[in-house]
Parts: sequence; structure tokens; C-alpha cells
Amino acid sequence: MHLTNRKSNFFALMLTMAVCLAAVFGLQPAAAASSFVDDDGREVTVSAPFERIISMYSAHTENLYDLGAGDTLIGAHSTSTFPAAAAFLPRYDYNADPEKVIAADPDLVIIRPFISKRNPEFVEALETAGIQVVSLYPEKFELFDDYFRKLALLTGNEETAEQILTNFHQEIQHISDVTAAIPEKQRVFFESTDTNLRTVTDDSMAGLAIQLAGGINVAAGAEPTTAGSSIASFGAERILENADEIDVYISQRGAMNAGGNQHTIRIRPGFQTIKAVQDGRIYVINEKMVSSPNLRFLTGVREIARYLYPEVMDDLSSWQTDTSATRRDLANIIFHADHLPIYTPSSSKYYEEDHSGHVYGMFEDIPWTDADFDAIETIVVRGLIELDETGEVERFNPDEPVTRYDTARAIFISHTFPEPDSAAAVSDLSAADHPAFIQAMADFGIMDLNDGAFEPDRVMTCGEIVDAFLKAQPYLSKEAE
Amino acid sequence: MSKFFSLFLGVLMIALAFGSAAAEAPEVILVISFGTSYNDTRAVTIDAIENTIQEAFPDSEVRRAFTSQIIIDKLADRDNLVIDTVTQAMERLVADGVKTLVVQPTHVINGYEYDDLAAEVYAFADQFDSIKMGAPLLSSTEDYLKIIDIIKAEYPLENDEALVLMGHGTHHFANAAYAALDYMFKAGGSPNIFIGTVEGYPELDIVLPAVQALNPTTVYLAPLMVVAGDHANNDLAGDEADSWKTIFKAAGLRTEPVLRGMGEFKGVQQLYIEHIKAVISEN
Repeated sequence: MHLTNRKSNFFALMLTMAVCLAAVFGLQPAAAASSFVDDDGREVTVSAPFERIISMYSAHTENLYDLGAGDTLIGAHSTSTFPAAAAFLPRYDYNADPEKVIAADPDLVIIRPFISKRNPEFVEALETAGIQVVSLYPEKFELFDDYFRKLALLTGNEETAEQILTNFHQEIQHISDVTAAIPEKQRVFFESTDTNLRTVTDDSMAGLAIQLAGGINVAAGAEPTTAGSSIASFGAERILENADEIDVYISQRGAMNAGGNQHTIRIRPGFQTIKAVQDGRIYVINEKMVSSPNLRFLTGVREIARYLYPEVMDDLSSWQTDTSATRRDLANIIFHADHLPIYTPSSSKYYEEDHSGHVYGMFEDIPWTDADFDAIETIVVRGLIELDETGEVERFNPDEPVTRYDTARAIFISHTFPEPDSAAAVSDLSAADHPAFIQAMADFGIMDLNDGAFEPDRVMTCGEIVDAFLKAQPYLSKEAE
Repeated sequence: MSKFFSLFLGVLMIALAFGSAAAEAPEVILVISFGTSYNDTRAVTIDAIENTIQEAFPDSEVRRAFTSQIIIDKLADRDNLVIDTVTQAMERLVADGVKTLVVQPTHVINGYEYDDLAAEVYAFADQFDSIKMGAPLLSSTEDYLKIIDIIKAEYPLENDEALVLMGHGTHHFANAAYAALDYMFKAGGSPNIFIGTVEGYPELDIVLPAVQALNPTTVYLAPLMVVAGDHANNDLAGDEADSWKTIFKAAGLRTEPVLRGMGEFKGVQQLYIEHIKAVISEN
């Protein structure tokens, strides 16, 4: 009995151990993922999340912030400027002395294959000093999830990563579904650089973004300039052959100012024949939104969908209400009613430069994770909402009410009104700082007078603001000839 | 007789050709610009100026140099476009055995940029038989008067409209050119044309109230720059709160930016040719 008992106990113990061992070595996916091979072929084992990280690539930096791992960053390459907090991290450069990185005592330096190819001795010096180096870069969009999960594993944020990825793909799918249902498809040309007017390949992130946004790429099938490149040859001649077919012209710009802008595209010989140029549908998109492996790709897809299908994507119905408008509402209404392209700084030196007014991303009450961050920043950077600049920190005050003067001012600045045939009589014109705003609203019937009075201080409802912006639509500023 | 006559004519033509080619036109005209990374804008301004100069001086070779290292690097990185710095251009001229040279900067005023490029050019003086330097756009009083005529022709204004030209501005004493031009517009009967600068005097703070005082129906904003590049696209016509366009609108003025570099104007291209002719005829 004793023996048997012992024996059975022994077997039970063995069984338990076997189950545990199986769990640890291979049967459970979580445990298997604690080591991986990076994109330089390096075997990486993660025994505990890294806590002192230096990121040598802006997309790594941004993704770590998205994972909630911003506080593990002790430094970043100078191109890391999103979110704004990243711009204030100590700067490290792979073209400089590796001793500076070593002296900062990081437990992990995340690079990309481009860096190890360009400066192998830099990477070698870090590894010789006993610092863990991980090299990551998803060459294709299909590899993004896998890449994002590796960043999560390195910082112990696997669960967050799964939630983020699920949401990311659902949102993209949603945009895709909405635009797929639109019968009349818009045709797009995407300019990746104005040198030889190159475009992008079908399987590039930008090429994919056009498909996901429900666009038809006029340059579909363009051949890469070099094998494996996302940049594809096209040229002015083929663009002009398709002049009637291009409904929307998108130009990508970034740190290198690669593509043209509204003006430079318009002045190219022959380009006035392009439908998009004639219709004023040239859009400039920041490369960080469409060509960089980060979550802002979703913003990029939505942004392209807005350029293609503004009426569907910039739906104002949720603001056609009788509730009093807040500054947050005003920002959203302007953003959608005027179909404004999202603002984001393109210069990596943005935070080193002087800015006379608001600095992007610095509102204490509108963090970069706010659902309306893009709309509010875009409106403020354009000077369409006045700010209270008396405090020590920047505040947007999103919950404060909106007056008729606020709305008149925003409409005046973002629209171009012709000279009126005759000036409407407004009894309380002198009550405003700039009577011209009010006068224009009265002259062009954008906002109604009450017994001849404009009542600039009266608070507006969301529906009234939407109504004013819809009336102002014909006067929306277009690129100057 | 006819044979003799054609021989005579032939000799005369050869003599004339030699006269203009050897004694006047230099072997090379080096056109030096600040540079721009806006390829399309460069085509209608710097390229256009160089091409017009080439047409006017068919016996000279027209070469290009930029003074901005940042732009040279950017074009090399981005577009594989190799453009000489001033020193590189001079070294190449020496290596090619060029002996007679005219340098024409496309700069607007005689500021630091001009001083620096002149010093770089003259450092090679002993390796040439002749180096002559054409003047920047705004040099003589005649230049100012011509620019005023060109601007008035390019921007026809109604009496109740205003035009504000955005100059670069500098800490160099040549910055006085901007206020002088503003004065000369007014003295020449155009009280509605103003000069302001991004980095010098007159500042926007001075120009804006002066324009407001006229209460114009429309304000046009245009670059007083050869190339409509970064300053024109961002500081002048940008959609951001601190662009001149937004600031003028926020002050209640109907405002329209115009993105044309002065290098696009035939009159300005011609003025550079006159500057080259003037130095060629000097002894």
C-alpha cells in the first residue's frame, strides 16, 4: 500500500511535471515567443521586459509609445518626433561615436537592417559592450503584425499589442467596407517623388493604402525602380496620357520634401490638362502616414479615403443637433466641412525651431491619444480657433462654448470671399474686434442677422455651425492661380 | 565682282564674329544661385534664367553653381542631381583651362551671400586672365526703377487693392534695399505696394498696420524672391497660423497669395542679361 501509494504519488508528480514542461517548452505559444530571430538573423531571447531602451528608428519609437512603453525609452534617433514627447528624448545617432550610446547604459538598442548594413562597426561596438541589439523592419505590410508583436514582447506588452492590432485591422476593414460600397470609384495618381515623377508599387504601403481606401490606382502595375523597392518609375508622359483619368492627385512629402505641392504640380508643363488639377483635387500627404510601419497607417488610409470620397467620409450628420457647441465640436465641424488634410509636421527639426504660437502636440488637455487630436491640431495650426495664451502650459479648453464671432472668424480665414456687390447693414458691427468677419457673413448670407444685429457673443448650437459651413462651401479657398 | 564682294563679306563676318566672341563674350558665364529643392519651381526660375542667358550669349558656355550646401546635399541625396558649390565650379573651370569668366549671381541684394560668393570666386583670380562679376538684381538706382516697372506690369492692381512683396531680409547693411524699394514704389505713385521681409526690416509688424490703414478690398501677397521656394510656400502662402496669408486674413483683410518667383518674369531675366552685358563692356 505504502509502496503503491508512493508509486502513484510519484506518477502523479511525474505527470504534473510533464504537463508543466510541455507548457514551458513548446506547447504554449506565449513561451515559444520569448525568443525570436531578428531581421539581421540574430537570435534574441527575452527573459524579462527591457526597461532602458534606445530606439534608432522613428517608427520603432512611435510604436513603443503606442504600446504604452514610452517610459522605457531613454533615448531615440533625432527623426523621432511623434508623439511630441519623443522629440524631447535624449538624441543618439548611429553615424556618431557608439561610446555615447554605451555611456547611457541602455539594456536594449533597437535598430533596423539599414543601420547594420550602413554602419556595421557601430552595431559591433554596442554588442561588444554587452548591450542587447535587436534589428527590426517589416519589409511588407503583411509583416507588420509580426514586427509589432516583437516590439511588444521586448517590452512585456503582448496583451496590449493584440488589442491594438485587432482594433487597427477592424478600423481599416471598416473604411474598406464603406468605400467598397460606393459605386463610382475614384481614380488616383500617387506621386512618391517629383524626380522623374515616380509613383509607388502596388504592394508598397502607399499602394495598399489606395486600394484599402477604395481608390483605383492609375499607375497600377508600375515597375519598381530597383528590385524590391517600393518606388516605381512612371514619368510625366504617362501621367499626361492619363490626364482625363486622374480624379485625384496625391503627392507624398516628408523630411525630404519628395513630391510636389499644389503649386509646383500645377505649374508643370501640360499638367493643367489633368482632371484633378483642373478640379483643385491635389492633396499632399505626409509620408509618415502612408509609408512608415506604424499605426498611423490607419490615419493614412482614412485620409486617402477622405480625399477620394469627401462626402461619405466627412459625414457631418452627428453634429446636426441642437446641443450647444463646444470648441471640440467646432474643430470637428471645420475639419470635416472643409475637408482639411490632417496637419503633422514634416521636418524632424520641428521642435528645435521657433514657433510664434501653438506648438504641435503640446496641448496639456489634448493628448496625442485623444480621439479628436488630428482634427483639433489641424484647426489650431491653421489659426482657425483663437487660443488663450495667458497660461504657462498650452491649453485648448475643448469644453468651452463657441460664439458666433468664433465661427465667423474661422469661416473668414478658411474661405476666400469675393468683393460683395453691396454691403449688408449690420447694426452691431462695432462690437467685434474685426468687423470684416461679421460683414462677410452678412454679405454672403452665411449667418443670419437678428433684426439687423449679428450678436457676435451669442453661443451657437452644433447644427447652426454646420449650417453656416455648408453655406460657405462655395467660397472654400482653393490654391491661388 | 560678286566673288570679291562675297569674299569681303566673309572676312568681315569672321572679323565681327571674332570681335564679339574673343574680345567680349567670356568663355564661360557662371550663374550662381542660392538654389532650391523645389524641382518644378527651379525649372521656371533658375533654369529659365540660365537658358535665357545662354540664348543671349551663344558663344559662351553657361554653367551653374549653388551657394546653399543644404540644398546641394538634398538634391544629391534625393535626386542624384550633382550641382557644384562655388568653389567646386571654380576648380572645374581651372581644370578645364578656362581663362575668361563672367560670374552672374541671381541674388536680389548685395548681402552676405553675395560677399561670400565673390570672395570664393576671387580666390581663384590669379588662375584666370579675366574674371568679371555681374551685379545682383537690386544694385543701381536704374535697377530699382526697372524692377518697379516689372512688378507693376506683372501685378496690375486696382486703386483699392494692395500688393505686399515678401523679401528675405538680412542683418547685412544691404538690408536697406528693402526699405528703399518700398520708398521708391510710393515715390513712383504706388502707395498701395509694400515691401516686407521675413528676417529683416521692414517687419510684418510694420507692414500690416500700414496696409490696414489703406483699407484695401483685396491684398495680394507675392515673393520678392527669385524663386518661390520654401519661404513663399510656407511663410507667405502656407495654411499655418503664422503664415502671412493667415495673419493678414486674421486681421480681417481679404487676402490672396501669389506663388510666382521673380525669376519667372521675362523682365527680370532680361535684367540679369543687362547686368552681364554691363560687366562685359567694362574694362
